[in-house]
Amino acid sequence: MGEINHDQGTAGKKDKKPHQKKLSTHIDMTPMVDLAFLLLTFFMLTTTFSKPKTMEVNMPVDPDDTTQQQKIAESLTITVLLGKNDKIVWYTGIENPTPMITNLSSTGLRKTLVEKNSKVYNNAVILRDSLSRGYLKMDEFKKRLGQIKQDKLGLIVLIKAMEDATYENLVDVLDEMAVSHIGRYAVVDITPIEIEMLAKI
Amino acid sequence: MTPMVDLAFLLVTFFMLTTKFKADEPVIVDTPSSISEIKLPDIDIMTITIAPEGKLYFNIDGKKTREQVLLKMADRYNVTITDEEVKRFSVLTSFGLPIRELKRFLPLNEEERKAIPQNGVPYDSLNNELSDWVRFSRLENPQFRIAIKGDRQSDYKTVKRVMDILQANKVNKFNLITNLEQTI
Repeated sequence: MGEINHDQGTAGKKDKKPHQKKLSTHIDMTPMVDLAFLLLTFFMLTTTFSKPKTMEVNMPVDPDDTTQQQKIAESLTITVLLGKNDKIVWYTGIENPTPMITNLSSTGLRKTLVEKNSKVYNNAVILRDSLSRGYLKMDEFKKRLGQIKQDKLGLIVLIKAMEDATYENLVDVLDEMAVSHIGRYAVVDITPIEIEMLAKI
Repeated sequence: MTPMVDLAFLLVTFFMLTTKFKADEPVIVDTPSSISEIKLPDIDIMTITIAPEGKLYFNIDGKKTREQVLLKMADRYNVTITDEEVKRFSVLTSFGLPIRELKRFLPLNEEERKAIPQNGVPYDSLNNELSDWVRFSRLENPQFRIAIKGDRQSDYKTVKRVMDILQANKVNKFNLITNLEQTI
C-alpha cells in the first residue's frame, strides 16, 4: 500500500549507497483518495436534505360565553363531509341541504371552492401575481394575503369527517383550503343527521 | 490531482457534518402529502405518531425534559424507577408502551428491545396515559410544539381522539407532518 520513501542516507554513508536520493517525500495517495471518494459517495447517497414539512391547524375553541359567538350568513358556509372509501360530499346552507358528491381532483372540490370563494381567490391570485413580478416583498405579501383571507364575505368551510374516513382525506381537504385561499375553515364534529345523509348516498 | 482530492475531502467533511442519521423509530409511517412548505422546527417538538392500526407513539426532545417528565409519570402511576432507567429513557426516541411496560423495556439492550412488540401508548378513557404525557411535557416545557405524524391510512377516529386529548389539554394549535407534494 502507501509507501513513504524515507531518506535514510546520511552524509557519511554517501559513497556507500550512491543510488539513494537525498530527499523524496512522495506518498502514494491513491488508497486515501479511494477511501475519500467512497466516503463521499456514501454520505452523498445517505443524506436527505428534505426535512419533513408541516401544516398548521388551529382548532376552534368553545367560547365560555355564548354571546361571543358570531352569527354567520348561511349562504357563505359550505360543509364538506368525508366518508368511507374516499367519499367526499358537500352541501351549502342548513335547511333542506342538497348534498353533492365530489372528489379530490382539480375539477372536483377545488372547482367548487374556488367558484364559491371567487372574490377572495381572485384577490389572492392578483396578489400572488404581483409577488412573482417583484412588485411585492415576501413579508408584505404574507401580510396582505392574511388580510384578504379574513374577508367578511369569504367562504366559511366546515370540515366534518366520519370516523372511518382516512387521515389522508382530511389532510387533502385541508390542503384544498390552502389552494383555494380559504382563511376561515374549521374541523368540527359530524352530526347524526349528516351521518344519515352520507349513508343514503 | 491535488485540487480534486482537496475538493473531495471538502465535500466529505461537509456531508459528514451535515448528515443527521435517522432516529430508530418503532414504526414507520407514510405521511400524506400537502403543498405546505412550512418546515418543522428542530427543537421543542413533541411528536405523536399514529400508526394505521390506531396505535400511538410518543416522543419529546430534550434530555432534561425527558428525565423530568418520566419521573412525574412514574410518580403519577406509582411505578418505581431507578436513576439508571431515567438515564436510559432520556436517550430513547419514540416509544409506544404503557408506563409499566416501559419500566421493563428500559433496562434491555438494543437487540432485546426490538423483540418487544410496541402496542402503543394507551389513550382510552379508562387509562389515558397519552393525556398525562402531554400534560407533564407541557408543564415541563411550555414551548413545545405538537406535531401529529399520522399515516395516510390511519382512520379519522384515532386522529379525532388525539385531537380531543390535545384540546382537553388546552392545545388548540398543532402541526400535521406531511411530505411535500410532487408537482404534476
